[in-house]
Amino acid sequence: MAEKALPRLTRLLGIVTYLEQQGPTSFAVLAERFGVSEDQIRKDVGTLSVSGLPGYMPDDLLDFDFSAFDHGVASLTESHGVSQVRLSAREAVALTGALSALVAAGTAPAAALTALDKLRGAMDGNDPMVVLPASSTKPEVSQALLDAVARRRVATVTYVDAHDRLTEREIEPHRLVTIDGIGYVECFCRRAGDYRTLRLDRMNAVTVTDEPVVAAPSDADGFTLVPRFDARVVVARSGRWALEELPGVALDEVGDDVEATFGVTNAHWVAGRLLAIAPYLRVVEPEELVQALGDAAKAVETAQAG
Amino acid sequence: MAAIDPAERLLNLVIALTHTRVRMLRSEIRATVQGYDPVDPSMSEEESKKRDAAFERMFERDKDDLRRWGVPIRTVTDAAHGDDIGYKIHSSDAIMPAIDLTPAELAVIGVAAEYWQGAVLGADARQGLVKVASQVTHHASVDLPFAARTTAAQDATAALIEAAHDRQAVRFEYASATSGTTQRTVEPWRLMIRGGTEYLVGRDRDRDAPRTFRIGRIHGAVKKVGSPGSFEPPEVLPDTMLTGPGDPGTALVALRAEAGHALRSRGEFVSSDGDWDLVRVPFHHPDAVRDEVLALAGAARVVEPPELAASVLEHARAALKVTHG
Repeated sequence: MAEKALPRLTRLLGIVTYLEQQGPTSFAVLAERFGVSEDQIRKDVGTLSVSGLPGYMPDDLLDFDFSAFDHGVASLTESHGVSQVRLSAREAVALTGALSALVAAGTAPAAALTALDKLRGAMDGNDPMVVLPASSTKPEVSQALLDAVARRRVATVTYVDAHDRLTEREIEPHRLVTIDGIGYVECFCRRAGDYRTLRLDRMNAVTVTDEPVVAAPSDADGFTLVPRFDARVVVARSGRWALEELPGVALDEVGDDVEATFGVTNAHWVAGRLLAIAPYLRVVEPEELVQALGDAAKAVETAQAG
Repeated sequence: MAAIDPAERLLNLVIALTHTRVRMLRSEIRATVQGYDPVDPSMSEEESKKRDAAFERMFERDKDDLRRWGVPIRTVTDAAHGDDIGYKIHSSDAIMPAIDLTPAELAVIGVAAEYWQGAVLGADARQGLVKVASQVTHHASVDLPFAARTTAAQDATAALIEAAHDRQAVRFEYASATSGTTQRTVEPWRLMIRGGTEYLVGRDRDRDAPRTFRIGRIHGAVKKVGSPGSFEPPEVLPDTMLTGPGDPGTALVALRAEAGHALRSRGEFVSSDGDWDLVRVPFHHPDAVRDEVLALAGAARVVEPPELAASVLEHARAALKVTHG
């Protein structure tokens, strides 16, 4: 399918604005700046050079130096005042909302805050998106990890894992990532001898050592856990909220109930989520998940009833 | 005439409407702007009617596209010419203000733009990035050790942002926890991301009250109703709309040694009682503590308040009913 009109129009105006400010620029540099091939830039400059004011006589058109064109350089000699246009509401909010999510997750470099200020300054009126932190990452934790990533140093962290175990680990941090509003560090964990994606809000303390990072960053994305089995759960509508948060869940309304199907990586973790909506549960399948739920419920009953 | 690329037609339209001194009539646009089919007198009446309608559709769509893209086309009427409507783009409406980003700022915006990938807003983010990048001086690209993405982005979000910006009411099908799927008509005030989940905060017209909607529960398309500028959102939203209904207090929780680290880090150690450590934990809503204690599967129990302890037990027994059934 051909490229859509507005992305191309945006780039066409971007090329004119860029050339106005920077002067003659090679196709290669424009291609890198606008994330397209040199061939596409050549076509774009071709399109620009036949566009202009109604009449479309030579003096009405955007004008380029054609001997430069033949040498792979865009050299604009007449722009007719064409220039990049302001951000639309959606574009502006898409950018500021995502920046805010990075900041809220505690995984943003200092430049994110100044960029956010500048973008908001360029918006017409209020920013209609509010981003609230998902959890509280200690600022000193993200600061220390940023430092370790920047200087490529090993860090020692104390970490509470998803099973509530407190561990001390030596990690080689590669990248800070925001996934669904929560901050993580992608790293090589020396304790596990493997790549890990650790939640920042589960770290109590981080110490940056002098030891250099040696493991190369992983190519894989953070979450590569493979579901072990598929589960089906039916709940009364009031229990829907807990199922919505399960990764990869499909929800269907069946009368007054909601049916959820999803892959289970860790039955104990899912059992913990299901306990929160136990009064609304109607059906839980398969047996392995039923077992995990029953074990967890019995343990809670024993502890609580004393 | 071979149809030219739509981007080229839009570019010519923007240039023409920006340069026209007063306004351009539709007929002038059709006759002179490259990319539209001019009237052809040699055509049969039927054929030219078809062409007229095609031009009207194309021009209406172009106007909408440009407006959504950030460039409002103003309509200009002229008393001397009766009902004729003309069009013009004021450069002051359209031009990108100088934002003056540093290379590091542009690089972090590039990271942020990836957040919405896979959702409708992803295309908007990339386009916004190209717009702001047009102004930034060339430099070696800055490679940042950051990444961002969401798995929760909803296609409805883009339409709701637009409606909130234009102050236009919306109508959609909504699956609520209490009343099933119903149609709602809402004045969208703000969008909110909390814990990676997207919400709409606004006034529900049928219930005549402010409500918070989970965007993931909106089914199908978000339809705009009424005209833009039809309501005024409050400047400050009530706290409870942002944080959810609260019932704050503190709980006394007993934890096994080496367990409940998340609760420990938010709470305050009180004393030890045999194998249990007693920790006092503040909460915004007691349900959150209940769910955490349940998830600890026996490594924690609630000591106080008694209602919370009873609720934990009740949940465990409800689960046992299902697993035995």
